[in-house]
Amino acid sequence: MSERFELPAELTIYNALETRDALLAWIKEQTVHTRDYLQVSARDVAEVDGAGLQLLAALSNTEQAWQLVDASAAFIDACRTMGFAEWLENRHMQAILQGASA
Amino acid sequence: MSNDADMDFIAQAMPAFISEAAEQIEAIETLLLELEEQPDNRELLDSLFRCAHTVKGSAGIFGLNRVVEFTHHVETLLDKMRDGVISLNPDISTLLLQCNDQIKFLVDTAADPDADTADEKDTRADLVVRLRALTEGTAPPQAPVQAAAVASSGAAADAGPRVWSIAARFGPDTFRNGMDPLSIVRYLATLGTVRSVVCGSDAVPALGNLDPESCFLSFAMELETASSREDIEGAFSFVMDDCELDVVAPETADQKMARAIEALPATPRLGEMLVQVGAVTQDKLEQVLSTQQQTRGMPQVDKPKLGDLLESQAGVAPEVVAAALGKQQKLREAAPTEERYIRVQADRLDAVINLLGELVIAGAGATLLARESRQVALIEANLHMNSLIEEIRNGTLGLRMVPVGETFSRFRRVVRDTAASLGKEVNFEINGGDAELDKSMVEKIADPLMHLVRNSLDHGLEPPQERLAAGKPAAGTLVLSAKHETGAILIRIEDDGRGINRERVLQRAWNRGLVEQGVVPSDDDINMLIFEPGFSTAEQVTNLSGRGVGMDVVRRNIEALRGSLRLNSTPGQGLQVDIRLPLTLAIIDGFLVGVGKSKFVLPLESVVEVIESGGDSIKVDARGRHCLELRGAVLPVVRLRTLYAVESSLPSRVSVVVVQSARGKYGIEVEVLLGQNQTVIKPLGRLFKTLRGISGSSILGSGEVALILDVGSLADLATGVAAAAAAGAVQTTAA
Repeated sequence: MSERFELPAELTIYNALETRDALLAWIKEQTVHTRDYLQVSARDVAEVDGAGLQLLAALSNTEQAWQLVDASAAFIDACRTMGFAEWLENRHMQAILQGASA
Repeated sequence: MSNDADMDFIAQAMPAFISEAAEQIEAIETLLLELEEQPDNRELLDSLFRCAHTVKGSAGIFGLNRVVEFTHHVETLLDKMRDGVISLNPDISTLLLQCNDQIKFLVDTAADPDADTADEKDTRADLVVRLRALTEGTAPPQAPVQAAAVASSGAAADAGPRVWSIAARFGPDTFRNGMDPLSIVRYLATLGTVRSVVCGSDAVPALGNLDPESCFLSFAMELETASSREDIEGAFSFVMDDCELDVVAPETADQKMARAIEALPATPRLGEMLVQVGAVTQDKLEQVLSTQQQTRGMPQVDKPKLGDLLESQAGVAPEVVAAALGKQQKLREAAPTEERYIRVQADRLDAVINLLGELVIAGAGATLLARESRQVALIEANLHMNSLIEEIRNGTLGLRMVPVGETFSRFRRVVRDTAASLGKEVNFEINGGDAELDKSMVEKIADPLMHLVRNSLDHGLEPPQERLAAGKPAAGTLVLSAKHETGAILIRIEDDGRGINRERVLQRAWNRGLVEQGVVPSDDDINMLIFEPGFSTAEQVTNLSGRGVGMDVVRRNIEALRGSLRLNSTPGQGLQVDIRLPLTLAIIDGFLVGVGKSKFVLPLESVVEVIESGGDSIKVDARGRHCLELRGAVLPVVRLRTLYAVESSLPSRVSVVVVQSARGKYGIEVEVLLGQNQTVIKPLGRLFKTLRGISGSSILGSGEVALILDVGSLADLATGVAAAAAAGAVQTTAA
C-alpha cells in the first residue's frame, strides 16, 4: 500500500475515468488507516488538461483533505495557468517550486 | 473534414444544425423587433449578438463558408452596437432584418450550391457593402480609440493595452466536444498578460459523483491586452454554444467590479462576493462583520445592514454594493421561477390521447359491470377511477395547448414590412397572447390570420394624409387579440381604418352575380360577401392582397377548423374581424341522434332547429331526392336510414334535424333525439376512408360506437350530387 497517490503521466480526458476510479479506490484504502491529509503526487505528470485538473477540483470538493506533495513542471504550469495556484501553497510544494526555479 | 467518418457525421448532424439555426434566426428577428422598441436594452443586444455568433460558429463547424462570411459582417456591426459606437435606428434595423433573411436563405440552401443565384449574390454583396459602410466608415469621433482597435483587430500598436475582465462558465459537453478550458486560457495568455485568473470549481461534484468526462469548470480572468473584444471572444468560438461568456471592456474601477460581481459563479454571501472581486479585503470584511455582531443586542430593526457598514466603514463604493446586492437578489429569484421545457413529438402525444380514449371506454365498461355486480365497494372504486381518468384526459389534452402569442409575434415583422412598403404608419398591438389553443390549431390558423392582417393593412388602413384629412391620427392602429370564451377562443383583428364600403361591395356583388341584381341583403350579410369566392373590391390589385383569391380561402380554412367568422364594420371608423375557434380538434360538443340501433353525432354548432314530422310529410322528387316543406321553402332532407341502410322498423313519427352548412340549410331525418354530449373524436380506420358523410367516430359511455356526421359532405348527398349513391343504397335495402 502506497502512502501517496501517484497521478499518471497522462492526466487528461482520455484516462480521466480510470484515474478517478483508481483515486477513489486508493482513498477508500487510505481512510481506513489514516485521518490525516491524503498525499497526492503529480511528479510523473507529463500531460494535463482541463478534465485532469477537474478531477483534483472534485477531490477538493469531498470531505477528504488532501495536499500536493510533488509535481512536475508541466503540472505546476497547468495549475498556475488555470488558476488553481492554491494547490501549490503547502510547504512541501514551496520547497519544490523554489528548487525548480533555482 | 477529410475522412469519410467525418463526412458521415456531418451529413447526420446537418438537419439538426439547420433546425437549430432556424430557431436562432427566428430569435434574431424577434430580438431585433423588440430592440426597436427598447433600443437601450443591453440584454437584448447581447442575446442578439449571441444568436448571430452561434449561427456563425456552428456554420463554421459544418464548413458553410458562405454563412460564416456573411454572418461575420453582421456580427461586426452588432459588436459595434454593443460597444456603443453605433446606435440602433430604423434604417439599421431594417438592414439587419434583411441580413437575417439572407442568413436564413443561406442556411436553408446550405446543401444546395445551385440555389445561390446571381441575384442572391448581388443582394448579399449589396448588404455587405452597407454593413461595411456602417462599421468602417462612420465611427463617431468621441470613440476613436475603440474604433481603431476594432478596425485593426490584432494590430496592437495604436491602442495601448487595456485590462479586460473575462468570465466564462463552460457547458457539460465541453470535453466531449474535444475542447479544453485549459487550452483556451493558454490561448488567451498569448494575447497579452494575464493579471489574475481564478478557476471556479464550486460546481464540480465531489469525486465520487463526478462524471469525469463532463465539464463543470468556470474561470474569471483579468487580461491585459491590446486585442479587441472580437479576438478575445474568438478564443471561445468553438465552445460558444454551451458556454456562458462575459467579456467586460475596460471601464472605471467601480463599474468593473460591479460587472465582475454579475459574472461571478453562484456565491450568495454579500461579503464573500465583495472579497472575491477585490472590493474589500478579507481583514476589513471581518472587522466590519464583527462590528455588525457587536450591535446585535439591539432590536432587529436597528441592526445595521452589512452593505451600509461596508459603505461607511470600509469605503466600498455604493455602486459596487448595489451590484452585489442585485446579484444576490437575482440568485434568490432565479431558482424557483426557472421554466423548463421538454420537446415531445406531436405523434407521441396523439398516441397517448388515443390510448386515453380507449381507457375512457374501458372505464365505462368496467363501471357498467360493477353496477351489475351490485357490490358497493367495487362501484365506488370504479367511480374514483373514472374521475381520475377524466382528470388525466383533461390534463393530457392540456399538454397540446400552446399560447397563441408565438404565432402573433411572427406578425410583427409582416406588419412592419407591409406597412413600410405601402407607405403607411401603423401601431401594432398584441393582446392576450397567453391565451392557449391546441397546437395543431395554432399551426393551421397562422395563414388565415396572416391574410386577414395583410388585408387590414392593405385595404383597411388609409395612407397618413387621408387619415389626417379624416381627423384621425396619422398612424393607424392594428390590434390583434385573443381571449377565451366558453369552450372557444376568440381571435380578433381590429383596425381603425376605413371599414367596409358596403355600397361598393354590393355593387360588385351585383356585377359578379353573387347577389341577384336589386336585392339588398342585411348589413351583416353584405359584409360577409367579401369572403365569397371570386370577390375583390380593391380598384388596384396590389401584390399583397386584392386578387380576390384568399378571403374565400380564409373562410374555408377557418370553417375547416370548425370555427366561425364575423365582421363588424363601422364605415370610416374601422373593421373588426372576429374568429371563433374551438379550443381543440379532439373534442366537440355533439348532438346525439339515433336511427334504429345506430347512433350518430352531429356537431352541435351546425344544428339550427329540430322539427317533428310524420314520416309521410317528406316527399320524394322526380330525381329520387327527399325534401320537406319548411315555412314555405323547400328543404332537402337526408334520410340516414336509407343512406346507410340502417335496419329499423319504420316508426310512425320521425324528427328532422335542420343543419346549416356552407352550401345552405338542409335536414337530416332521424328517429330518436338523444341530446347533447361531449364527444371525443376518433379518426376512422382506412377501411372507412371512402365512406361519405362521416368524419369520424366516437365511443359512448355505454361502449357503443357513434359515427360523427360531416355536415359539409353530407350536404352534397342531400342536394343530389350523390343521388346515385343514395339510390344504390336504397336498392340494397330493398333487396
